Amino acid sequence: MIAFANVNYFEPWWVQIVKSIVIFAVVFAILPILIVYERKLLGRFQSRYGPNRVGPFGLMQPLAEIVKFAMKEPMRPNTSIAYLFRLAPVISIITAIAALAIIPWGDVQHIFGQRVGLYGIDVSIGPLYVFALAGISFYGIMLGGWASGSKYSFLGSMRGAAQLISYEVSQSLSIVGVLITAQTLSLTGIVHAQRGMWFFIPQLAGFLVFLVASFAETNRAPFDLIEADAELVAGYFTEYGGTPFVAYLFAEYANMIVVSGMAVTIFFGGWLLPFGLNPPGWVDPFVVLAKILLVFTFFVWIRATLPRLRYDQLMSFGWKILLPLATLNLLVTSIVVVS
Amino acid sequence: MSAVLFFIAAIGAISGAIGVVMMRNPFYSVLALAFHLVSLAALFLLLRAEFVAAAQVVVYAGAVMVLYVFVVAYVGGGEQLASGAVLRILGPLFALALAIELCIAMLGAGLKGVNSRGAPFVLGFGTPKHIGNLFLTKYLFPFELASILLLVAAIGAVVLARRRRGLEPDEQAAYRVEAPRPAYTGTMAEAAGLRPAGGEEPLKPEVEPVGTTTGDATQQQGDW
Repeated sequence: MIAFANVNYFEPWWVQIVKSIVIFAVVFAILPILIVYERKLLGRFQSRYGPNRVGPFGLMQPLAEIVKFAMKEPMRPNTSIAYLFRLAPVISIITAIAALAIIPWGDVQHIFGQRVGLYGIDVSIGPLYVFALAGISFYGIMLGGWASGSKYSFLGSMRGAAQLISYEVSQSLSIVGVLITAQTLSLTGIVHAQRGMWFFIPQLAGFLVFLVASFAETNRAPFDLIEADAELVAGYFTEYGGTPFVAYLFAEYANMIVVSGMAVTIFFGGWLLPFGLNPPGWVDPFVVLAKILLVFTFFVWIRATLPRLRYDQLMSFGWKILLPLATLNLLVTSIVVVS
Repeated sequence: MSAVLFFIAAIGAISGAIGVVMMRNPFYSVLALAFHLVSLAALFLLLRAEFVAAAQVVVYAGAVMVLYVFVVAYVGGGEQLASGAVLRILGPLFALALAIELCIAMLGAGLKGVNSRGAPFVLGFGTPKHIGNLFLTKYLFPFELASILLLVAAIGAVVLARRRRGLEPDEQAAYRVEAPRPAYTGTMAEAAGLRPAGGEEPLKPEVEPVGTTTGDATQQQGDW
């Protein structure tokens, strides 16, 4: 058994394999739907229709796009470094998929006489797992920009480096308050600790800091300076086309699912429902999915609403406002918990 | 399974370490170092030190190496410095000394454990809870000492960074370009009437010398 599966019961190997395949397949089926959902939603926000040509209500749009991307001729610039150029999107997509494993979709269920936890893994290090993978996923962006051999890509990845480092600090500090309150790092344990009250009420400051830092960590507007299209063409993936581009795109959206899932798990009670509702266990994944979709909608809403920040504003906001707020939140929470 | 993983991680760690030294391009050296650190984290995982593994990746691969990559990608590459005659002799000497020291350490202590079964695995070993307990009880003093060291380093970095801004006013002026330009080709401040349009009068300096930071230019730019 590999050391990081910290479950209190034994799961046979085939259950783990089936679980990982199901999580992978479901999330990857959702990703194209999310993309068309975002485009439709953005259309509504901006008083236009959005994609409406392919299939009913334009729902087949992602299918058409994926076929188009897959058919494109693979090409890379002469100035690029071949193997790093190919490797970079792979790093991005692998870390994004690996981070999916930690989102708890439900409690432990009895399926076919086995006790199966409705999550990939429940590690004792909890959120640190996601932060570790986020640290590695940075290399996907950095190498992609650097190996492209183009100024715009390089500048985009350079911005990415500074931005990811700055906001990772606030993001990880912001959830420490929750960890102190729940007294565990296991994400299922955090959900169980929210039976009385969801953590976004006592940890409102931590939640807001986490949310803002998450926008920056997933390179979403208003913090999408990495791919600022007005200045950098497309940022770090300027030179990418076809399937490598799709890898970057899917990695971004998978990261958004991970971040939304973290927000749902840590601040919105995971699979728990308010008003004393207690549905049977098979409903849990749908509850989590619905909550993730709500957070995702908020992401899109913000993207449609706020303009992009200037780079120095981004930096001073991260270091001078978010970080002190997160630290203050941590301090107050520790004092309240200890006393 | 764990044996396979061990050898994958071990080969990764050693090849990464070799790559750091052998690569000509500093950027590749940094990448090799990052690869080495991730492989080390895998080895920690195999030893059931989950928290140490995560901390290794978050702190070293995710933060320290990111800064290295950042700096090397900006200023590194290009010209290669030829190593001097002194370095060429001293380098192998130091390497040899280090190798002898490592051999003594390994032969003296490490090899005894090879044929034994090793320390028994305690449930909860290597979890954040376990490590936190140790930090606040058994290793409190070294832990606090390390925190103070880090604090001093952070404050020192801030002080050094501040001093960089304190160039002499005359020195600043030498770098400033004051070229005339046509009216209304400049900034938003000019369009809004906050700054005189055109090149009749010289523009106010963008960067005020330290000590007089309450100048008009900084106020107009809007600060967070």
